[in-house]
Amino acid sequence: MAAYEHLYIITYDIRDPKRWRRVFRLMKGYGEWLQLSVFQCRLSRKRHAELIALLDGIIHHNEDHILIVNIGPAETVKPSVVSLGKDFEVVARQPVIV
Amino acid sequence: MTDNERPPVQLELPLPFPELSGDMPLLPARMINEYQYCPRLAYLEWVQGEWAASADTVEGDHAHRRVDKPSKRFPEADELDDTEKLHGRSITLSSNRLGLIAKLDLIEAEDGIVTPIDYKRGKRPHVARGAYDPERVQLCVQAMVLREHGYVCEEGALYFVQSRERVRVVFDDELEQLTQNAINGLRLIAAGGHIPDPLLDSPKCSGCSLVGICLPDEVNYLRHADLEPRPLAVMRDEALPVYVQAYKAKIGKKGEELEISIDDEKVQTARLVDVSQVVVMGNVYITTPCLQDLMKREIPVSWHSYGGWFVGHTVGTGHKNVELRTAQYKASFDDKTCLAIARNLVRAKIQNSRTLARRNWRSDVPVEPLLDALKNLADKALRATDLPQLLGIEGGAAAQYFAAFDQLIKKPDDSKQLSFDFNTRNRRPPTDPVNALLSFAYAMLTRTWTMNLSAVGLDPYRGFYHQPRYGRPALALDLMEPFRPIIADSTVLQVINNGEVRPTDFVSAAGSVNLNDGGRKRFIAAFERRMSQEITHPLFGYKVDYRRLFEIQARLFGRYLLGELPEYPNFTTR
Repeated sequence: MAAYEHLYIITYDIRDPKRWRRVFRLMKGYGEWLQLSVFQCRLSRKRHAELIALLDGIIHHNEDHILIVNIGPAETVKPSVVSLGKDFEVVARQPVIV
Repeated sequence: MTDNERPPVQLELPLPFPELSGDMPLLPARMINEYQYCPRLAYLEWVQGEWAASADTVEGDHAHRRVDKPSKRFPEADELDDTEKLHGRSITLSSNRLGLIAKLDLIEAEDGIVTPIDYKRGKRPHVARGAYDPERVQLCVQAMVLREHGYVCEEGALYFVQSRERVRVVFDDELEQLTQNAINGLRLIAAGGHIPDPLLDSPKCSGCSLVGICLPDEVNYLRHADLEPRPLAVMRDEALPVYVQAYKAKIGKKGEELEISIDDEKVQTARLVDVSQVVVMGNVYITTPCLQDLMKREIPVSWHSYGGWFVGHTVGTGHKNVELRTAQYKASFDDKTCLAIARNLVRAKIQNSRTLARRNWRSDVPVEPLLDALKNLADKALRATDLPQLLGIEGGAAAQYFAAFDQLIKKPDDSKQLSFDFNTRNRRPPTDPVNALLSFAYAMLTRTWTMNLSAVGLDPYRGFYHQPRYGRPALALDLMEPFRPIIADSTVLQVINNGEVRPTDFVSAAGSVNLNDGGRKRFIAAFERRMSQEITHPLFGYKVDYRRLFEIQARLFGRYLLGELPEYPNFTTR
């Protein structure tokens, strides 16, 4: 079922701290914070479209820059990512039980 | 479509439409577009109030962002200057005489003539008329409303955002006729209260956002069984539940996330987009802003006692599909329908417990006598003449099944180890660990079904087999019957036989037994794992997980209640 979800690496450069904060908070809702200004998100087509629409509404097109890199189907992407230092764990989808 | 292909309904005649009175809704131009695309889609959206977003609809909304900001001023028809070139954005116009309302993305006025322009996401299609009929019809509706307001309007245009191309649409007689037919057709089906048949094996379905609600292939298959269903309804992104059972936990909202804290210390976050429902057990509180946001997003919250007893649930304003609920109530007052539904449910339940026993038998005692007895009872259930008799058959089957349940439980090799023993099924409160697990599993299953049923628009409290009683989700109990063995019992067996939950995970007070914190957490995880398991659907042949299967079953039950299917297809495994 999850085959149609892809993993994305999203990086951003935002010039204004206020907009940067908004982008950061939005991104937290869509993916896992990986490094400064870098997120990994697991998105279906619909969620991908939502995220783009929302980001597009926040940023200023002549100042800011966001890169959304599709790195393949979320379940099988692991071998094609090289990670030095810390571990790279693909965002898993599982129920939260506290 | 030529004239002689059209159905012999009076669609061709100009229907004299009375001036609208108070409660008759105006038909939106977009709905006429949907009707032209697929009458069933228009019926689902317009009459039943169903809606689902897809990537395409989200992109569509985004493509409209520029034209969705309304213009401050656009002159009326008689004020229109002859020379000026004017733009008006996001203007809503209606006509009571025509019974139509349209939101116009963009109107251009030049030389006293106005041109409506409709924004479409995507690229221009390369077809004969430059665009597909639904879009052309929608534009024609806009022109009709504009003319009704006194504007001169001869042609319109479709603007395709992705390829940045304009396609001219001339309002000729043929298009106007097509539009009029669509308007009348939609009015007819809405007034008739009969959902149009799904399209047959249509390529349109895979692009339709409502395919998981409409179930075109499944309905067609169950009605005339010729084409095997495409797995269209299965493809949907799946959010997962959040369970909070920790003592004194608090659920708040931070940005786009749920934040769960204990004693003001953050222990876990969950992205709201990934949450399908929130399950609260015991002494946990949710902040009001968080609760409101959950309701806005249509994420239900279910409330339970610490022991898992289902207390109630919170949803937003509820489901719009009144037609479905009306059908449910109507059917529930008919004894014959109740009995027919109940017979099949009981049979499916007995069959599934038989399957579970066959698969998990761990004893040297032969299993065949039990299997034969259950098979007989399953057949007998179909011949039951009233509900009490059926209840007796179900009770008899349960007695046989639970008498043998201990044979399905793995015994430890080392005799000094604690083991699970099961003698007889008891509850309220359960007096041994296995019964405690079973009761908890049934409570979880009831919750899942209650949420599922209210999410598809049925009323979980009005049942057919289980008679309504105060606070009892009777329909949930009805429809979960066949799933008791394959979800609940099977999860219980799994956690015991895999050693995920051990006899030491229980607390006992005055003879009643309950799971402790850690055991409960692991059990919930195992239950959800079972719900995510993929199985091949025995009727439709595609792969689907139980979570999605429950929704499909609930929707098919709705289709049965609305008279589209001759019988509710119960789920049985082999």
